[in-house]
Amino acid sequence: MKTSLLTAILALSLGLHGGATLAHHGWSWTTGDNMELTGIIKEVRLGNPHGILEVEVDGEMWTVEVGQPWRNERAGLKDGDLSEGAEIRVIGEPAADRSDRRLKVERLFLGDREYVLYPDRD
Amino acid sequence: MEAFFAALEATGPAQYLRVSRWGYAAVSGAHILGIALLVGAILPLNLRLIGLWPTIPRAQLLRVLVPVAAAGLTIAVPTGILLFSVRAQEYAAIGYLQVKLALVLVGILSAVMIHHSYGLTLEGANRGRLRFHALISIGCWLGALACGRLIAFAVD
Repeated sequence: MKTSLLTAILALSLGLHGGATLAHHGWSWTTGDNMELTGIIKEVRLGNPHGILEVEVDGEMWTVEVGQPWRNERAGLKDGDLSEGAEIRVIGEPAADRSDRRLKVERLFLGDREYVLYPDRD
Repeated sequence: MEAFFAALEATGPAQYLRVSRWGYAAVSGAHILGIALLVGAILPLNLRLIGLWPTIPRAQLLRVLVPVAAAGLTIAVPTGILLFSVRAQEYAAIGYLQVKLALVLVGILSAVMIHHSYGLTLEGANRGRLRFHALISIGCWLGALACGRLIAFAVD
């Protein structure tokens, strides 16, 4: 029983696969420095626990993490503002692992209007 | 399977939780309450089975802690399914979640088997059998807790 249990766990662990694009709690995984990206929204998945946009920036796809519904709403975003095809400029912290093209947004611009998701961050 | 997860995401509760601030917070809070009761009961219970606190009567301790652990599981499972339903397709692909579910399953099976054989208070089970179960149980539930937490933090 002990052996089969370990085998099962091992098999499952080895079967781990990436591809999921879930967002992450907190800021421990980011660089601590802001960067800016401008691109076209290709895919939108909003809602708890985090909102996620796939944004094409100069031919590269970036996973851009926005807020939960309440945070986006507080920033002034309305339903449909973050939609496929829209141009977006985002400022936030990228993943410390730069092979992971992923950025957590602090504020964003649609056209000239600024939406601040994290007012307490620079 | 994909179709099933998509259907799960389309259910009323999943749609509600995806946009609700306090509803989502309440369900994740309840999930944590379930885990707190479950792990909080199962750790001292298993440490007693391994041999800690030999002067505390085992049967009395089990009469308190087994129902508390079961209550915790009863809260954690449905709230966990609700949280999963919010993004079922993405979560299903995450290794940590798959390992967590396997550990939960083994943890439940181990408990069901030993209590099925020896009853609530495990009268008559020999020391080796108790220790074997206790080690599996501690490993499974602490492992499940760790994997569950990693879902939110780790880049997979």
